[in-house]
Amino acid sequence: MAISRRDVVLGGAGSLGAASLSFPLPAIADSEPIRIGCLAAMTGPSSAPTIGFNRGVNFAVEAINAAGGVKGRKIEIVMRDTQGDPTKAVNATQELISQAKVHGIWGPLNSGEALATTPIMARAKMPDIHPCVVETLIDPVKYPHAFRLAPSNSQWDDAVRNYCLNVLKVKKIAVIGDTTGYGVTALGASVAAFKKDGAEVVYQANIDSTQPDMTPDMLRAKTAGAEAIVVWSVSTGMEARMFNTRAAMGWDMPFVGHPSMASGELAGLVEKPENWRKVYAIGYKSCSYDAAGKLPPKSQDLVDRLTRANVALHDTLLWWIAGGIDAIELFAKAVETSGSTDAVGIVAYLNSLTKYPGYFGNYTFTPTQHNGYPTDEIVMSEASTAKNGTFALAPGYS
Amino acid sequence: MLASILASGLAAGAIYALVGVTYNTMYSTSRVMSFTAGQLAMLGGVFGSMFTLKLGLPAVVGFALTLMACAIMGVITEFVAVRPVLKNLDQHLYVLSTLAVALMIQQVAAIKWGTEPQPFPRLLGWGSGVWDEKFWLPVVACAITILSLEYLYRRTLVGRAFLAIAEDNFAARALGLPERNLRIASYALAGVIGGVAGFSGGELLLAFFANGALLNFYGFVPVALGGLGNNRGALIGGLALGLFQQAANFLVGGIFSSVAVFTLFIVVLLAAPQGLFGTSTARRV
Repeated sequence: MAISRRDVVLGGAGSLGAASLSFPLPAIADSEPIRIGCLAAMTGPSSAPTIGFNRGVNFAVEAINAAGGVKGRKIEIVMRDTQGDPTKAVNATQELISQAKVHGIWGPLNSGEALATTPIMARAKMPDIHPCVVETLIDPVKYPHAFRLAPSNSQWDDAVRNYCLNVLKVKKIAVIGDTTGYGVTALGASVAAFKKDGAEVVYQANIDSTQPDMTPDMLRAKTAGAEAIVVWSVSTGMEARMFNTRAAMGWDMPFVGHPSMASGELAGLVEKPENWRKVYAIGYKSCSYDAAGKLPPKSQDLVDRLTRANVALHDTLLWWIAGGIDAIELFAKAVETSGSTDAVGIVAYLNSLTKYPGYFGNYTFTPTQHNGYPTDEIVMSEASTAKNGTFALAPGYS
Repeated sequence: MLASILASGLAAGAIYALVGVTYNTMYSTSRVMSFTAGQLAMLGGVFGSMFTLKLGLPAVVGFALTLMACAIMGVITEFVAVRPVLKNLDQHLYVLSTLAVALMIQQVAAIKWGTEPQPFPRLLGWGSGVWDEKFWLPVVACAITILSLEYLYRRTLVGRAFLAIAEDNFAARALGLPERNLRIASYALAGVIGGVAGFSGGELLLAFFANGALLNFYGFVPVALGGLGNNRGALIGGLALGLFQQAANFLVGGIFSSVAVFTLFIVVLLAAPQGLFGTSTARRV
């Protein structure tokens, strides 16, 4: 067949046209997994919360991936054990950002580590959700990518004060903290806030948590006329000694304060089970059961799902598991809504949330407020009533 | 208030005195201030709780096993932290080596036992209020220990051999005394005394890894007050410390009681640097 000049020109033009309409490239960015880094103290002395949080994280990831992922993209958890050590947390953060190239980070899970890692994440513009209580960890100007899922320490303080003054209706307060940095700071803030609200702080003291006998301080508080003792300490030994001393003194007065007063270890440390009564520790509406023993319907549904999935609840706290689930679901929704794993889109989504219905709480974030947990969902729990990681509401709540 | 000061002050003081005696026992045969003394007492509480509460053994068996375990830890201290530095006592390397072993004991206890205080069982169930056994048990244990040591040192051949080593190491060796074996035995004995302190004070202090550092510190005060190597001085210094500390707790409270205790401690040492019952030694020049 003879090939004319016209055929050559047409063929050439056709080839050029085809070349310009290149073959569609595989959409790698749209199908790669969503990588979420987890800074978790899986071993070491502060591993108890991590164990609970991780159960929630794994539960949420399995559920989302089993349902097809986020717009077809699976979630991949990149877990790093920080052992509760800020140095290890810093190294793990840098590795997650620069090598694992995660799209967001959940954690660290304690404030000491978060104080070290938050500035690093801010420099890398890495979206971060964490449950740490120290006030300074949240600053939308300095750390616009950091979001707090749990209450801050001042929110705990507000809830305790509200319970003492408005529910128990006591006016003469004794405030006791331990001698750690946390105990001293929390006591100072609590005393100032009580005074500001018109309460009379009749006694305040920082006590060495290893002090074997609490009689002197308890006696002084009683002599001063205290109607309730507010406790800011994580030392269960010190708390148990105070409960035992109260019983030995025959003093019928409530303790109100830090969640550690509901720690299961106290059951073995108090001399009699009744010494642990009338102790009201910080808890959460979503994880508290009422006088009829019923949880809120959404929480009960979660417990049922967790039970069906064989997630253990008896040795942890429900709010840890619920918080882990919420963190992963928030990242998933952010990617789904913004349509990509870009930090800008994730942060913009989080900043737009108003009363987002999580399992742990209804979160609200704005560009100027990254403390997402609502203070009115913090309640006091009867400390000695743990049941599958939940507690009975303290008296006074309807 | 006075009854409470006496009960808890004497109890804490007896524990401090026993830790002071633990320091002295290790010092007597090696001239080394071993900073594992408080940790041995901490282990007394932890092992006691483990054997009697976690493993459910009878209190007597748990007590015997606790003392054995603490004796072994004492011997390990001698092998690991003391023996290698004995030739260079003047360089005071033992401060570093014994502190390092103390830190290791504390960290292992924290990891294996936990960082939260654990309960210690009621041993006899006798008494309540200020007569509760948690207050008088350490005092009784301290009295029995001091009397037993007096008997050992004054009435038995082994005890006299200990005293000979403590008095003049070289002369004792020249007389054929097995100095090394006696030193090992004294560290085992120190472990036992530390174990008694921790076990008898378990109900008061609980089984808690952080008690080691506390007892290291407060156990050293009676040694300094009573004079190094003087058990009677340690006893009186320990009881005085406990009573003063508890009285300060009642009077000034909280962290200020520690300030009061150490102010008095410094004042006493300024007035009597060799301790209240120690003797100043002449140095040949």
